[in-house]
Amino acid sequence: MGSNEQRSVLDKYLGRLNGPQTIGRGVPFWTCFLAVVVVLALCPEFLSRYEIINFSNFLISGFLALSLCLLWGYCGVLSLGQAAFFGVGGYTYGIVALNLLNAHGNTDVAFVAGIVVPTLLAGILGLIMFYARLAGVYIAILMLVVSLMFELFLLQTADPDYTIGAAYIGGFNGLRPASPDDPLLPSLIFGAGESVLEFDGRSVEFYYLTLGLLGAVYLGLRWLVNSSYGYLLVGVREDSHRTETFGYDIRLVQLSVFCIAAAIAGLAGVLYTAWGTFIHPNQFGLKANILPVIWVAVGGRKDLTAALIGALVLEWVGIRLAAVGEISLLIMGAILVVAMLVTPEGVVTTLARVVEQGRAFARARWGRGGTGPRSERQDS
Amino acid sequence: MTDNEPIIDTSGLVKQYGGIAALQGVDFSVDRGELHCIIGPNGAGKSTFFKLLMGIERPTAGAIHYKGRDVTSLGSFERARLGFSVKFQNIRVYPDLTVYHNLFIPLRRHHRMKKIPGQVAELLGELRLSGTENETVSNLSHGQIQWLAIGMSIAAEPEVLLLDEPTAGMSDDETRETAEIIRRLSATGMTILVIEHDMAFIRDLNTRTTVLHYGRLFAQGTFSEIEANEEVHQIYLGTL
Repeated sequence: MGSNEQRSVLDKYLGRLNGPQTIGRGVPFWTCFLAVVVVLALCPEFLSRYEIINFSNFLISGFLALSLCLLWGYCGVLSLGQAAFFGVGGYTYGIVALNLLNAHGNTDVAFVAGIVVPTLLAGILGLIMFYARLAGVYIAILMLVVSLMFELFLLQTADPDYTIGAAYIGGFNGLRPASPDDPLLPSLIFGAGESVLEFDGRSVEFYYLTLGLLGAVYLGLRWLVNSSYGYLLVGVREDSHRTETFGYDIRLVQLSVFCIAAAIAGLAGVLYTAWGTFIHPNQFGLKANILPVIWVAVGGRKDLTAALIGALVLEWVGIRLAAVGEISLLIMGAILVVAMLVTPEGVVTTLARVVEQGRAFARARWGRGGTGPRSERQDS
Repeated sequence: MTDNEPIIDTSGLVKQYGGIAALQGVDFSVDRGELHCIIGPNGAGKSTFFKLLMGIERPTAGAIHYKGRDVTSLGSFERARLGFSVKFQNIRVYPDLTVYHNLFIPLRRHHRMKKIPGQVAELLGELRLSGTENETVSNLSHGQIQWLAIGMSIAAEPEVLLLDEPTAGMSDDETRETAEIIRRLSATGMTILVIEHDMAFIRDLNTRTTVLHYGRLFAQGTFSEIEANEEVHQIYLGTL
């Protein structure tokens, strides 16, 4: 079977997952994808429990990277405050879970609330920002200020009066139960009727849950950006005023993608809080907001896969380097500066382009497959 | 509205940027189905006039009526939905996308998904771009990019088409073909306003022409009348 036939079979079964707005369309890409999934799935077999707990946390950063990649990379709206939705999701989950755990015996409502509340917050902020025609650096700065205001406020809630039912906001001590009689902040417990499914943040099951959710969000976003809505996002990114002259209300497009990105960041916050059964105001801080921007910029902001790899690899390198001591921050900084200078479009995006050009060159030289990379970009 | 009423009518249109007046009270009207050229020296306010018509910028004073309705306060997407479309002077296509998807975005707003591939093929045929659908824009020649930009503007089948310098940077052959495309569009009943500096092209279109100068309407008439106008020669045509 020639590569064109293989591709048309892939297009048939993978449809919009395999579209031109995302790197990786051919058999080699999906083979690598499956291999990575299998390796990640087998990790608990050959890694220590401590490492699996760390890996769960890496995967959680992946959600934040995907969220920012969709918003910034595809729609061109840079937010320096994406952690605000992460934090709001985490705190919402914690507060609702602390209050409802005894009554419900599960965290179903808390899980949903941790996604819905940041989405609603994004809806309100987005309405104000986009309908006031804010753009570019103003949105970036405004969102950073929003996040830092959350941090500032939450740091001042150490007074015991700051309780919501069974949840004590706790200021710089982090979220905790209001009294010794209240339950502790739980990991995820899904329940339906009598049956209960528990995912302890330190368990292998939690790792698999996070991996499954990350895969689902990644594939869901691949489908989204290759849909007609995805092209509209790219249109808004490349020339928002031009897109408007075609009759699109771009404020609505930006608002919708802002809400979707917030929902994903909220989900990451929920998982983070459930993972460590703890959340602290520094999740709204400067570092928490800037790190996702770095992951996405270094990986490649215009592609989901690149942003995801950027986040996972940089987080992993960060942990490995931490063992070296204080100098690790300098080494990490140097890696980032060099990466951004050498590949302004992102390391993974640039590597993918080199591979694609190499394959096109090979085809042109030895006549295998017959089509160049340009003509691969057909509509799905 | 009756057929005799103008489709676009502007009254006292003023646009100021800080202390600089780009337009100083333009009263202008164009009839339904008319092909109309707008000429004038650089800085005369031609492109500003188009931006006000398309709703990209708001006038400092004055009003714009479309089919008798005051549309002055409407944004560009609302005017697009009423039937306005524009090709900007600086072209503005989507550089990262293929020719197909450059047309897909404007078509998506107005057509069912299933119809779009057929519509793209039809547009590409009309614009002499057949066979380029999978090319990214950077692989096209300058003239082809201009045609693509025109194609994106007519994808929505607008009632009023604003073309700002559609032949800029084109070869003589491409310019002639562009005139042919515009005449064909005009024959479908579309109202078309064209800003141009290329007098041979305007002579070729040979239609009603307006001269703007220092933000004011300086002269109006058939192109022959404009060419014979001594004052127009002094301010503009004599300088070309």
